[in-house]
Amino acid sequence: MPKQFEYPEIFSFAPFFTIQPVLATREKQMGLWRELILSYHTSLKIKTLRVHDCPLWKNKEIGRELNSEAINTIMEDFVESGHGEWEDQTKTRCRILWRKPEQLASDIYDWADTNGFINSVCTVYELHSGEDINGMSFEGADEELLRRALLILEKQGKCTMFKGETSEEDGIKFF
Amino acid sequence: MAHRRGRAGIGALAKKGETSKFSKKAEEIKTTSLQSAMDTVKKLEVKLTEFAKTHHEAIASDPAFRHKFLSMCAPLGVDPLTTKKSFWSFLKMGDFYHELAVKVAEVCYAYRTRNGGIMSIHEVQKVLMTRGTKFRLNNMTTKYSEDDIIIAIEKLKKLGSGFRTISVGGTRMVVSVPTELDNDHMQVIQLAQDISGGITMDMVEDVTGWNSDRVRRAMDLLLAEGMAWLDRYEGLEFYWFPSVWKETLVS
Repeated sequence: MPKQFEYPEIFSFAPFFTIQPVLATREKQMGLWRELILSYHTSLKIKTLRVHDCPLWKNKEIGRELNSEAINTIMEDFVESGHGEWEDQTKTRCRILWRKPEQLASDIYDWADTNGFINSVCTVYELHSGEDINGMSFEGADEELLRRALLILEKQGKCTMFKGETSEEDGIKFF
Repeated sequence: MAHRRGRAGIGALAKKGETSKFSKKAEEIKTTSLQSAMDTVKKLEVKLTEFAKTHHEAIASDPAFRHKFLSMCAPLGVDPLTTKKSFWSFLKMGDFYHELAVKVAEVCYAYRTRNGGIMSIHEVQKVLMTRGTKFRLNNMTTKYSEDDIIIAIEKLKKLGSGFRTISVGGTRMVVSVPTELDNDHMQVIQLAQDISGGITMDMVEDVTGWNSDRVRRAMDLLLAEGMAWLDRYEGLEFYWFPSVWKETLVS
């Protein structure tokens, strides 16, 4: 059941839809847009933002909307912050990374450490849907995103991956 | 103070050589009046302290009552807030206002990037209440009013922190940045309040009669300080004040 999203107060503030000329104010504004995009997509569990029809760009109730230049500025800022990445060259679709891969990587490793998985193996499936991971940031995570996080851990020498019979059974050994 | 009493004054009497007799009497009267004034004040102070002891619970729990009490103290030069070692400290008002001042400062700092360092007292109170901030005054959790917040800000002011209260129309606001807001700025903020929405430079010109340079100067500062945000709509430029806008939201 999709739950209703509660828009933050700032969404009803007309200037929110104009990129602010004063730097300090603009920084505050960009922060608020990043928060809005992230919380909207996370709470409604929407994985991809489609730039051309994202409902966040306009607020009919106050009669304001972002122009295309403003949308670009906001999207560039969002991607740069590490919470989004373009799925295509033409920058029409953006995958929402509600946890940055680096954050997920450290969350996974901490969990593995706490739960005694160091020097032992678990599968990719267990990581996103297993029994022990209730409430963890990577619960229900996109497999793609998980693999990215695991790749980071591999590079750090904190785990190694090996193939299982199916991709879900691919294994991870933590060090 | 210079007194000019004309012909019948001391100067005139001096000419008549009656100064010494008269001035002695004048001194006597002065001394007596001063003495009796001081006696009266002392009596009032005693009454006030009796009052405080009897009603200390009401003073602690009821902001309106508290303010009546403080307004009685002021003319007598009694300040229950700062008098530390006196028996007024049993009221623990100094501590209460100190705690409140710290919380008020926290709220102002937290909202500074959003409103440029100006916000209504009412909004500060709302934030504190939403956060569930409670204070203990004389061992009782107390309600605190906008007046309490203003007193707390006065405390902050005395510490030289750049905090001060200003009044824009009927709304009392706290400014927590050292920015110099002159009358022009206040008038612009006032206009935003009256309109209850975004204002344009033309609107300001129409209402105030200032030339466009003067309007721009005022607006530029408010924008630069982050007290105003820009809204471009249908080729027009509107200026909105987060601190004012907040007050228009349904509380």
